[in-house]
Parts: sequence; structure tokens; C-alpha cells
Amino acid sequence: MTDAETVIEARGVGLSYRDGQRHVTALHDIDLAVARGERVALVGPSGSGKSSLLFVLGGLRRPTHGDVLLLGRSLVGGADATADVRRRHVGFLFQEPFLVPYLTVRENALAHVPTAEASERVEALAVSIGIAHLLDERPHRLSGGERQRAGLLRALAAGPDLILADEPTASLDHATGRAVLDALAAHARDAALVVATHDLSMLDAVHRVLRLADGRQTPG
Amino acid sequence: MTASSSGVLRPSPLSAWLWLRRHPRQAAPLVAIQALVTALLVMIITPTNAFRATSEAYAEALARVTIASPLRQFAFDDDLLARLDANPGQAERVEAKMFWLKMPMIVGQGFAPLIAVPDDARDAFLERVGARLVEGHWPRPGTDDAVLHDSLITARGFRLGDAFGRLEDPADPTPGRFVVVGRLEGSARLGIVDHAYASRPASVLARTPPFQLVYAKAGREAESDAYLRDLVDDEGRSLLHVVDRAYLAERIDESLANLPVLLGFITAAVALVVALVTSLLAVVAFQARVDEFGLQLAVGHRVRTLVRKLARETALVATLGWAIGLGIGLTSVTLYRDLVLEPKGILMQVPDMRPILLSLLVPTLSTVVASFVIARRLRGMDPVSVIQRRGA
Repeated sequence: MTDAETVIEARGVGLSYRDGQRHVTALHDIDLAVARGERVALVGPSGSGKSSLLFVLGGLRRPTHGDVLLLGRSLVGGADATADVRRRHVGFLFQEPFLVPYLTVRENALAHVPTAEASERVEALAVSIGIAHLLDERPHRLSGGERQRAGLLRALAAGPDLILADEPTASLDHATGRAVLDALAAHARDAALVVATHDLSMLDAVHRVLRLADGRQTPG
Repeated sequence: MTASSSGVLRPSPLSAWLWLRRHPRQAAPLVAIQALVTALLVMIITPTNAFRATSEAYAEALARVTIASPLRQFAFDDDLLARLDANPGQAERVEAKMFWLKMPMIVGQGFAPLIAVPDDARDAFLERVGARLVEGHWPRPGTDDAVLHDSLITARGFRLGDAFGRLEDPADPTPGRFVVVGRLEGSARLGIVDHAYASRPASVLARTPPFQLVYAKAGREAESDAYLRDLVDDEGRSLLHVVDRAYLAERIDESLANLPVLLGFITAAVALVVALVTSLLAVVAFQARVDEFGLQLAVGHRVRTLVRKLARETALVATLGWAIGLGIGLTSVTLYRDLVLEPKGILMQVPDMRPILLSLLVPTLSTVVASFVIARRLRGMDPVSVIQRRGA
């Protein structure tokens, strides 16, 4: 893959912060480049820095040092400064789907991209991931798997270039988790996908695995 | 949801109206607070216009003519009358006397004029002040007959044949004694008594000095009044006390001078308290929606977008409460006016723009303060912490 196809790139990224009296170094000099269509898994034990790296890649955390480039442009600033870029180019899928309780599945998916184009995309995606009949339902009427698929719908609504998924199957049973993962893989073909997971069964759905321990890349 | 011509979906999932429609129970306390406070302000402030409305109605009769009385002597002498008659703007003058008829006000009491004019000058006077006899008869010469405006009869609870005055009731400030023999209608609230009766030397009514009713030529009222005010003695001191429309308006303004300050203070204090209560409730509501806002920030909404959304929600709730409160307040003061005040001859203007405009301070201040408080919380919010707390 050429540099032109690189969607997200971390160059020597480090992340430190204070947690009360404690000084925490969550990431040490991480280098990572993910191309369009590529699927990368971040694996490692709890506290290894998987989620921190996802948040840095998505612009939700500002790296203490190093640089993050999204589509060749530096993601400068904190969560608010990078909000517009994130809304247009990044889709997040979290362990908890975080659906807004008073909005329907459709409204949840379109809250950050209320455009006709996104609406058409959501209609089509909902059919393909099997929740078209739930588009006008509110989250409290959905099962865990349906809620996570509704979260997936929101992550894909803007047609993102980068999809960041943090333990997307952790709170689902195996079969449901697999279905969500398949849907994620199927619809991330035109995007770069970075997924943080403990679930080793997910690894056969990705092209590459980045192992982390204590915030450092470790050899595979 | 449908797409607008610009391709943006309407209604937006972030619209305040959508939130309100789906959270009627959460919005209800805020709507109720705003409504009750607005209604209260309308019900407190509107009746205060009764002071002015009623005073102006009583002054109206006097405002259509000019009253001139000697400032430096007990009564007019020939010299002063001659100087009066040199007024180029004067059409006619009539000697008259005036007593005061106690009337209920919304608080305390006011006074309506009871004017004694000679028989032959009565018709011209009544034509000028716009009053006409609709029941009973005019005061007979030399008698204590009185004709009163309908509103005065109603307000005092009189019927034709009833007597009033200090000789009838020691607590009545009107000197002497009069008997109601007729009912007047028209815009001027006044009473008419017989001038000859009011001028009897042996009567207590004789203590009240006469004055001159000055009728100006058409279109020359200002010139005539200015002439009267400018009449001075050799030492440059004013000779006349001139009561014209401007003088009456000034006295009414003077008597109500502190009212706007008082009302402004009450409104500001109430609005501030409501704004603080609203912002406290908004913070409680915000805490219940932390996950929602953490997520919205994470997926790419800016803080200012969410502040605007919350400000719109607060403004919508506050405006809805204000509108409901306005309806309740206006209905209440209308009923109060029709059922309580008007039977007592007390006028009140409904709707009154002052409470409507002043009460706008309540939703405005609520929205501004609540938005400011919530904006500070949103700016300090870390979406990652919210996500990790829920994901943990």
C-alpha cells in the first residue's frame, strides 16, 4: 500500500497524564499507519493502552508527544478542536453503544450528520445489518446486540474514512459479537478500521495485529 | 424526518422541540415555575396601572378646561380679573368652585371633582368636558342637589336620593351636604352642584375660594395657558395658580414617580431568583444527561453546538412557561378588573405592556444564566472519561 492510501498515521505518539497524585504514561512512542481498506486489531491486556491509542487516533486525546495524521493532516488540539474532522471522517464504536435514550435508532445514527445523504446511507446499512425494522424504535426496546448494531449504524452514518472500535463485542455473546464484527468488517471496506479487543476470535477478521503492553508496542 | 432543500434533515435530532416533545415530564417543573412566576408578575404589576388610569380619568374633566385661582390673595379682585380678561387666547371665563368627592382607589382613596358652576354656564361647561345627564334632573338653584357621573355613583354605592358630605357622615371629606339627584355619562368623571348653593355666605362651603374656569379659543389652548402662567406682579412673582392638562399630568407623574423603580426592582429580583432556580434545575437535568453529551462530544459535536442546543431547550421551556403564565396572568387580571375593580369605579388597563415586557426578563435571564452554567460544565467535560466510566 502506498502513502497516499494511508488514512491514519501515528508517529512516535506518547501520552502521559496525571491521575490524582499519580503520573500515568499510557503510551510510549507508538508508530502506526493504517491504509484505506485495512483492518488492524489492537490487542493486549487491560491497561496496555489500547483504548488510549484509539482515543489519540480519533483526536479525543491530544498526544503528549509525537503526531497523529488523519488523511495526511495533523490532528492538532483537543477533543473540541478536532470535532469537525472527527464528525466528517471518523466513526466510533464503543463497548457500550451510548445511544441517546429519547432518540430513535435512526435519529441516533443521524444526530451528528443530519443530511439526506447520510439518511439514505443509514437506510441501506440498516437493511444490511438487519435492523431496518428497528429504525423508529427507541433504544430501551432493543436487545444488547440490536443496540450495538444501532451503535454501528451511527459509526458508519457519515461514511467515515476511519472507524475506531473499542471492544465492540465485549458485552455481547459470541454469536451476536460475531455478527456485529462481520457487519463491521463488511462495511469498513472503504475505510481504515482499528479495533481494540480482548476477543482473540476477532483476529481472523483483521489484516494486522498490533500488540501493546504497558503502553508500548511489543513484537507479535 | 425529511430533507430540506439544502439536504439537511428536519426536524434535526438535536432540535429543542423534539427534546421537549419527548420529555414533557422533565420539562413540566420548569414550565410550571416560569408560568407561575410570569403570572404572578402580571398579576402584581398590572393593577398598579390602576393608580394612573383612575387618576387620569378623574383629572380628565379638569384637563379639558383651565383652572386659574389667585396665588397671592383669597379671591379675584377687579384688577386681577381685568388682567385675566386681557388674555388674547381666552374665549370665555366662568367663576366656579370645586369640592372633592372621595373615591376608592386600588389602594387608599382618590378624589373626583365636584364642580359648582352657575346655572347659565352649566351647558357650555358640560359640552366642553363631554358629560351629559342621562337620569334624574339638574341641580335646582339654591339647593344641595348634585348630579354625579355614573362611575362615581356606582363606586360610592349611591342611589338617586342618597345624601353625602361631612354633615351626613363626619368621615366624608366633602364639606357640607349634598343629595344625589341625577346621573351623568361621558368620559369625564365628575359631579356638578349648584354654584349659588355653594356660595352662600353662611355655609361652610363659602370657605372654599372661587376660581375661574378659563375656556381657550379653539386651537389656542397653549397660548392661553402660557398667558395665565406668565402673569406676574411688580416683583415678578406669579399671580395665578394654573391647573391645566400639563399641570395635571405632571402631578400624576410625580405621585407615581417611584413606581417604575419599585416594579423594576421586584421584577429583577424575581427574575434573578427564578434564573438561579432554573439553572440549578438545568444542572440537575444536565447531570442526568452526561452520557448523552459525552457521546455527542466524542462523535464530533463541538461544545458550542451543544451549548446552543441546551440554550434552545431552556429558551423553549422558558418561553412556553412565559406564554402560559402570560395567559393565566392576563385572564386573572381581566377577571379581577371586571368583577372587583370596575364595580368600585377603579379603572385598570388590560393588557398592560409593562408587565408583559418586564416579565420577559424571567425567561431571558433564565436562559442566559442556565446556558452560562451549562456551558461551563460542558467546557470542563472530558468525553473520554464519560466513555471509560460507562465502558468500565
